[in-house]
Amino acid sequence: MTAERHVDAVVIGAGTAGLTAGALLAEGGARVVVVAKGVGSTHLAPGTVDVLGYDPDRVEAPGAALAGFVAAHPEHPYARLGPDAVEPALEWFRAKVQAGPQPGYAYVGDLARNHMLPTAAGALRPSALVPETMAPGDAAADTSPVCVAGMRVLRDFHPELCAANLTAAGIPARAVELEVDMGRADANALGLARRLDDPSFRAAFAGQLGSKLRGGERVALPAMLGLRDPHRVWTELQERLDTPVFEIPTLPPSVPGMRLSDVLRAALRAAGGRLVLGSEVVGGERDGARVSAVRVHASGHDVLYHARWFVLAAGGLNSGSIELGSDWVVRETALGLPVHGAPGPGEPRFLPDVFAEQPLSRVGIAVDAGLRAEGTENVLVAGASLPGAVPWKEGSGEGIALTSAHRAAAAVLAAERIEATA
Amino acid sequence: MAPLSTDLLVIGGGATGAGVAFDAALRGFDVVLVDRADLAEGTSGRFHGLLHSGGRYVVKDPNAAIECIGENRIVREIAADAIEDTGGFFVSTPWDDPAYADRFAQGCADTGVDCEEIPVAQALREEPRLNPDISRAFRVPDANVDAWKLVWGLARGAQERGGRILTYHEVVGVHREGDEVTGARVRDARTGDELDVEAAMTVNAAGAWAHHIAEMAGIEGVRILPGRGIMIAMNHRLVNTVVNRCQSPTDGDILVPIRTVSVIGTTDVHTDDPDDHTVLQDEVDAMLDDGEKLVPGFKRARALRVWTGVRPLFEDAKEEGTDTRDVTRAHAILDHVERDGVKRFLTITGGKLTTYRLMAKDAVDAVCAQRGETRPCTTSTAVLPGSADRGPYLLGERLERKEEHLRDDQLVCECEMIARSKLEEVMRRRATTNLDDIRRSLRLGMGPCQGGFCIPRATGILHAMNGMSHEEANASLLGFLRERWKGVWPILYGDQVRQARLDDWIFQGVLDVEHLPG
Amino acid sequence: MTDVLHELLRGSLDHCVKCTICETACPVSNVTPLFPGPKYEGPQAERLRVAGDPSVDHSVDYCSGCGICTQVCPQGVKIAEINAQARNKLKQRDGVPLRDRIITRPTVVGRLGTPAAPIANASARNRLVRVATEKLMRIHRDAPVPSFAGRRFSSWAKKHSSPRTGRKVVYFHGCGTEYYEPEEGEKLVAILEHNGFEVEVPKQDCCGLPLQSSGLFDDARKVVLRLARALAPHVRDGSIIVGNATSCTVMLKREAREILSLEDDPDLKLVSERTYDICELLLELHDRGELKTDFRPVPEKIAYHAPCQQQGHGIGKPALDLFALIPELEVVEMDARCCGIAGTYGLKQEKYEIAMAVGADLFGQVAASGADTVACDSETCRWQISHATDRPSVHPIDLLHRAYGLS
Repeated sequence: MTAERHVDAVVIGAGTAGLTAGALLAEGGARVVVVAKGVGSTHLAPGTVDVLGYDPDRVEAPGAALAGFVAAHPEHPYARLGPDAVEPALEWFRAKVQAGPQPGYAYVGDLARNHMLPTAAGALRPSALVPETMAPGDAAADTSPVCVAGMRVLRDFHPELCAANLTAAGIPARAVELEVDMGRADANALGLARRLDDPSFRAAFAGQLGSKLRGGERVALPAMLGLRDPHRVWTELQERLDTPVFEIPTLPPSVPGMRLSDVLRAALRAAGGRLVLGSEVVGGERDGARVSAVRVHASGHDVLYHARWFVLAAGGLNSGSIELGSDWVVRETALGLPVHGAPGPGEPRFLPDVFAEQPLSRVGIAVDAGLRAEGTENVLVAGASLPGAVPWKEGSGEGIALTSAHRAAAAVLAAERIEATA
Repeated sequence: MAPLSTDLLVIGGGATGAGVAFDAALRGFDVVLVDRADLAEGTSGRFHGLLHSGGRYVVKDPNAAIECIGENRIVREIAADAIEDTGGFFVSTPWDDPAYADRFAQGCADTGVDCEEIPVAQALREEPRLNPDISRAFRVPDANVDAWKLVWGLARGAQERGGRILTYHEVVGVHREGDEVTGARVRDARTGDELDVEAAMTVNAAGAWAHHIAEMAGIEGVRILPGRGIMIAMNHRLVNTVVNRCQSPTDGDILVPIRTVSVIGTTDVHTDDPDDHTVLQDEVDAMLDDGEKLVPGFKRARALRVWTGVRPLFEDAKEEGTDTRDVTRAHAILDHVERDGVKRFLTITGGKLTTYRLMAKDAVDAVCAQRGETRPCTTSTAVLPGSADRGPYLLGERLERKEEHLRDDQLVCECEMIARSKLEEVMRRRATTNLDDIRRSLRLGMGPCQGGFCIPRATGILHAMNGMSHEEANASLLGFLRERWKGVWPILYGDQVRQARLDDWIFQGVLDVEHLPG
Repeated sequence: MTDVLHELLRGSLDHCVKCTICETACPVSNVTPLFPGPKYEGPQAERLRVAGDPSVDHSVDYCSGCGICTQVCPQGVKIAEINAQARNKLKQRDGVPLRDRIITRPTVVGRLGTPAAPIANASARNRLVRVATEKLMRIHRDAPVPSFAGRRFSSWAKKHSSPRTGRKVVYFHGCGTEYYEPEEGEKLVAILEHNGFEVEVPKQDCCGLPLQSSGLFDDARKVVLRLARALAPHVRDGSIIVGNATSCTVMLKREAREILSLEDDPDLKLVSERTYDICELLLELHDRGELKTDFRPVPEKIAYHAPCQQQGHGIGKPALDLFALIPELEVVEMDARCCGIAGTYGLKQEKYEIAMAVGADLFGQVAASGADTVACDSETCRWQISHATDRPSVHPIDLLHRAYGLS
């Protein structure tokens, strides 16, 4: 037997695209449920909003570069969305952060120019919209000396290598190691961020760090500047140390990414949307081009979510939403939707060069100009499930996620209004 | 550089060469072993890890079976640390000739390979993933052997008795004076320096490369038929017992649980080049299909890595053989005095890892014979370093050991449970800046995450420890990724694609390693 | 009994890409280094456990079984379930203390305690008795043990007869209602009858979850199958089973079949498909337009915490949607993972402090919410929350019962 729920729209996927689409739909007055197999991409990504970083050379001004980019890549999601669609999506996001659960926290930047942010390995990575807690590290604005501080207990961050590579890139940097007792040998950035949310730990930490600093140095820390209250953690450290402080994203778990997830989940909740995790969509019901429900494996009995609209933002190949089987066939696993961009039988899926663009990279769910999945009239696709992009190589993941989620939600809300007035 | 002088120069640091070095050192010889790369990087490091009971050969090659079971019993005693007593099954699947099973049982009885037929239901109870349609099952004393541990155990055993082990020293010339081989010239691959080794005797244990070495000594006609085979490691132990198809040896008929993975193998394709590591799509598909016959659902399980090994099969006759599997697997000692009129030079070739000790014994016996000396072999009872008071290796022990240090030792490679202290110790001891060397020693980055998490950590640790330049550190990281990818992309489907995507995310999205300076 | 499902469960470790998301969500490993984390204990350590041999890592016993890891895993690894099975193997090897044999049998405890309720309850509040119990049985002196009601819900149910409407529903009340909160069962019956249901309460017993959580799988199997045999005959006519104990209902729905490898038992399969949580059922009725919505205002501010094992149902938080139907009721949704009690975990002397540390975030949010009452679907969580926050804690149906005017 199957339980049944009726809502206006179901969003599949709880990453950046899914939560954004869900929040927008709820804000537009739709009864929305976001169902997801688990937590989404947010916790793994650095937490910045990358719009366009490489094309394949470094992009200085993403806004200006978009027009040329879409002309050269007509199959890219940005081409379907149009370059002008990006800015409003970023603006919405900035507003959500401001209204979000972390007091005073903000993202800075815009499409005019990319920040060049140090990575944990010591490379410089372009990004359009970054947390304020990372902005002082922008090498495009400031190449003054940096003290990179690490902790032995945090195995995911190695300040010496970071500093050596930054120095080679033109930013004089040196490394210091701080003693932090976490009561265990292995800590991750999240554990440290939780500690920094505590004022007394923060004071002691700042004291120790301050004693190691020289004058005229900025301070780089791994991304641990608080989970609940990053603005306060960051500003307090800057005040105590009397120098700019910035955080550098580390291996997952990504604290800035978790903050971003909290922002979007709060936006969804505030607008009255619902989130159900641990719920994988395993099938659907359809009548020709109209999908009427999706089936979710819940405990005991399945749940059938009936809705008029579906937004599929389930993460593509990353999550197994699109799968390459051992028979070398590419499939979309929830609804069996047609995919686009898969190499044909006998064609290579991967190349021997690990850094080459792999033939399978641009696979996604086949969509029309309006992001509708091919063969359906009410399933829209957003985020990493879209074909035509190589998000990490290009530095475009969040830009695509936010913009496509906006387009999908807008399309649904517009159609609902038409249907309501009809 | 002043030449090295020694009694015995062993060329080749696989199981054979290391076995020869250990045996000779025990007999009082001064030994120098050279290998162009790290130890066990050739065939020894690239097979499926099976310590044969001999069951595979009882019908077709009874002599090999007798050798195997004898050595199986000895190796378990002397190299306990490298052996895990998994036991083995021979099972008749619906694709196997049912009549073979009786011949198999008879063959075991004739050759002394311990063999007990068990009810199919019991086999399925012990191994729930096995194909429920098997018709017969036999228990044999197969085990798995960690080739690196074994080879390094032998090398250390030789070192303890004064032997010198020179890795990354490639033989670039073999010295002949008249009809005598007097030693070799080697080049240090890391520095480019060349060095002469003067040796009273030289043993060519270069496995699939033996004919190159022999040619350098001016000896023609040492015919090695390299037989290339692929193996696929599956992400976890689908079975805990070695499973063999009960049939005439063919492709893909062994599934070996070893360490944290299960390995399906293998194929047999003739190649001319012992460094040929091509993986063909058809071979991969065939291996997966073969796995499916043993374990239904195999093709939905996660394939971790594919690699090839090249067997050195020796053919003394001049005829062509199309299937290298039919060429004898027995090993051969080539005493070049009679064969080619060349003194002070021996080649040992063929064979399998299970019988390394016998091969080594025969080789060192031949060395003694040529020198007119009598020095008895003692390796059947000489316990290797590291195996002294341990029972056989138990996989679960690693969890227990880790738990003792939970609070005070970081895990750098979580998949393979490699602690930071261990990593740093090996980095210091190996004095290497090459993450691949460490990978071979410790299996760093060989777990499911394929280095996504541990390699950035290890690179940072290595860089800080060694005072490396950032260019060296970056190169080491990038080099590791390239090397790892070779074994990944041919079997990239299903879960492993998701992993590859996450690794891309980490290396490109978070770290942006492609845009590191220099 | 086939072990194939265990193998399939173990096989889900193949999906793990080591992303650490489970670790960010684990309430226990975030507060104590004694538990290395779900990724470590689940898919990672499982590769080193030779299936069929006992697990050797004692740290797996610190897993509270809350199941949050499995819920958040984006790749579908059955992390909590792998941990549960490893714990079982550990207990098989190491044995189980007397305490764990007792507190895992609420039926036994309940039957002994009910007739002696006044004395039993007084003892439980007596400091000296608690200190002695801690020394002898290692149940922490401060652990929130509930008070016996002194009567059993089933006695009331035997005497009560539901109006014969023909719209049948079977009630699985669980041990909490039976021995400690029989009034909850009465309220649930009243609500269902108000909505036109005929409530059947078959003879029934424990679901076996406490036994499973402590790694006593053989006993857990016996107990849950006994329950399945008791309930199955009542639903072969197509009826559904409803329960108010969200941990017990998720045990029936899913955990018993998955973790105890009971996939093949037909009675359990039938029961698992037919089981509903009460809020789940009421919301579905509302969705179909079949729920009576004659709710009076309840001008109160409450906090709502969805227990981990309620989240494990995979149905979202139906209580919130039901609360929204009650006029003037102000609900502050708690955003914390776990209250810490995890059934019997937080009662144990060596785990009590961990449990309180796990729940600290929730307790702080409750205090900051300004709410006087906390609604929560699981009885053991309610007892923990009351103990830690000094506020009453009620099942969501209590609010509905009041709003219906049935109180």
